[in-house]
Amino acid sequence: MAFKGLKKLLDRISSLFKKKGELKIGLYGPVNSGKTTLANKICKDWLGEDMGKASIVPHETREIQTKENVKIERDGKSLTFNLVDTPGIATRIDFEDFVKFGMGKKKAKSRAKEATKGVIESIKWLDNMDMVLVVVDSTRDPLTQVNLTILGNLDARGVPFLIVANKADLKQSQLKRVEEAFQNYRTVGISARTGHRLENLYDAVLETV
Amino acid sequence: MIKIKFIPYEIVRDDFKKVMRALQREALVLIDAKLNPEEEADLIKNTMEKFSEQFTGIELSSIEAPELGNVDKFKNLLVERLTGKKRGFTIIGPAGIVRKIKKNPQELLVYM
Repeated sequence: MAFKGLKKLLDRISSLFKKKGELKIGLYGPVNSGKTTLANKICKDWLGEDMGKASIVPHETREIQTKENVKIERDGKSLTFNLVDTPGIATRIDFEDFVKFGMGKKKAKSRAKEATKGVIESIKWLDNMDMVLVVVDSTRDPLTQVNLTILGNLDARGVPFLIVANKADLKQSQLKRVEEAFQNYRTVGISARTGHRLENLYDAVLETV
Repeated sequence: MIKIKFIPYEIVRDDFKKVMRALQREALVLIDAKLNPEEEADLIKNTMEKFSEQFTGIELSSIEAPELGNVDKFKNLLVERLTGKKRGFTIIGPAGIVRKIKKNPQELLVYM
């Protein structure tokens, strides 16, 4: 009996140390901002493999996905972390959005329900993050309630973060608008799809952690 | 006709039950304070838990009361520290009625 108690205590202590060593960097943002595309690009650059399926269909990522031991190295500095891709956060989910992409009504409804669980999970996981990359679509108005809620929560929890203004390769991209909207925070403009300025993001991550 | 339900912040702070009930009954909700980010995240979580074919989500936005000088700033800070209430207001609408709420920065544009 006493041994069991001691083992439990030792397990707890070792798990505490383990947790400390495992740095978690989360990808957060609204739906379709390019979080999974960025996760795939990071994994491809440093592990040589994809992380998950990216899609133009909203709420494609409906569960938290983690890739362990991603190691980035730049100019003699390195960082090993677990990359956490989260479902997009939204305040509303429309069945019609799925139907537009050719889904049947029944499937669209169950997809929407799964999406709601994804949003809840993303919010719950905010407490587990050591750093967050807030991925926003630079072709859209950045001052949305979802973006403000995410940034406010990271600020309140004291989690370090970077704003990643994605889709900078597109004509409609307005990096300046994103920078002006979030003047007090560091913004890095990139294209996860083409890899444009990804090295700036890696440098910023190494400086921020 | 649009119903607007006023719910005091003191009630919302404890839980969002009343807010959710009003939203599910297709009323717009007005709260006499700016919600803090954790409360906003909680509200989104509550919304997703109540999601159904009839209730597909919300639109929300808040405005912080402008501070008219250092005395005002100090007064607001004191009230916030003592009561947790941030001066301003929050408007929440069911997604079935409100298409979008745009912040502009001292006014809210509600698109139906």
